[in-house]
Amino acid sequence: MTQGTLINIRNFVLIALAQVLIFSRIHLFGYVTAYIYLIFILKLPRHTSVNALMLWGFLFGITVDIFCDTPGMNAAAATAMAFARNLFLSTFTHKGLPDDFIPGANSIKWGSYIVYSLMCITLFYTLLFLLELFTVSHITPLLISISGSTLLTMFFVIVTECFSFRR
Amino acid sequence: MQSILSLLVKYNHWFLFVLLEGISIVLMFSFNSYQGAAFFTSANGIAGNIYSFMADVDGYFGLKDENEALVEYNRRLTGELLALKDEISAIKDSTAIAGNAFVQRNKEVFSFATAKVVNNSLNRVNNYITIDKGSADGITSEMGVFNEQGVVGIIYQTSDNFSIVMPLLNSKSMISCRVEGSNSFCTLKWDGGELQYSYLIDLPRYALFEPGDTVITSGFSSIFPAGLPIGEIQNLEDSDDGMFYRAKVKLFVDFASVDNVTVIGSSTKEEQEQLEKSIDREK
Repeated sequence: MTQGTLINIRNFVLIALAQVLIFSRIHLFGYVTAYIYLIFILKLPRHTSVNALMLWGFLFGITVDIFCDTPGMNAAAATAMAFARNLFLSTFTHKGLPDDFIPGANSIKWGSYIVYSLMCITLFYTLLFLLELFTVSHITPLLISISGSTLLTMFFVIVTECFSFRR
Repeated sequence: MQSILSLLVKYNHWFLFVLLEGISIVLMFSFNSYQGAAFFTSANGIAGNIYSFMADVDGYFGLKDENEALVEYNRRLTGELLALKDEISAIKDSTAIAGNAFVQRNKEVFSFATAKVVNNSLNRVNNYITIDKGSADGITSEMGVFNEQGVVGIIYQTSDNFSIVMPLLNSKSMISCRVEGSNSFCTLKWDGGELQYSYLIDLPRYALFEPGDTVITSGFSSIFPAGLPIGEIQNLEDSDDGMFYRAKVKLFVDFASVDNVTVIGSSTKEEQEQLEKSIDREK
């Protein structure tokens, strides 16, 4: 087991606890919930295999599901987001970059990183809320939930990024 | 053969993707249908224990409010007890035998257990509450749950030490109830909107209700005894098909702060269900 994997496992436990004990309990206006564990998947190195990404996504999703009594919903949405992540990221890679890098404001600049995160997170919330409202046909609350939660999570993505950003 | 293998290797992430999504979707749909699914919810041992630890910690911050609520509840119960004692002694004077039979029968029917809420969701269409008592404490699914404010919900699934409650704030929850002072009964159903409001559906048009009337349990379902408070009627409107009234009800229970609840089990429930089933079979 490499040191990288150990660090990832430690981060997994810390982020999962923060997610279920703090962030999952914050519901703004009854519609908006931030799933900050997505940042973990956004920040995995460029050359992480799609299989590894999906397994991390599934693991995070199922953990959050177990704690929040939403069996399968987070797992399905996070797996799909992890599946699509490298595709989104490849749009923003250009020749000047090193072979392997951690996506972020340092490597692909603020603009690209924000657009990349926004694409991933919007995909996640669209799937999550569609699955949740499977049987209910309220379109307006659905759109409010998707856009509000995406914006709130983007806020946390940008805040975390500020900590690791070097000029 | 060689080409099939290389195809499998080349697109292996697609297979993993389908497999993981498959597991998720099976979990999503099996949650509602079988008992073993409790493992994949906060009723499982690890999640339940982490939550009860957290609930212990932040339970201290609510002790004062909780205490005040209990004192108030106690005061109300004492009042009711005295009123009932008065009433019983009045009945006893006139009809000694019937009075005794009534009191004794009520004693045996219901059993109570108190539990603490360890997890509570509010932001979804189907919300659930996790409590720290399970089948080891004699709790089974379809028992009633209430607190000092009123009806909370019905036990949905149990594991050894934890149970999941389907609260009134769940679009699948249906509670049989009636309006105090009238005999016609109706059903309480939540439509996924505001947390403090639910709706009475199937209110007969001939029945007379006014905003401010109290909604109580009917006692028909044998889950709850008759007369537990649920909420207060806010306004009346026509149902979609125009056959019934639909009433907006302000719920008495503040679901954002439920902490201690009482689980009520009825010893005659099975008897009643069997009787009702036997009629269905004959049809």
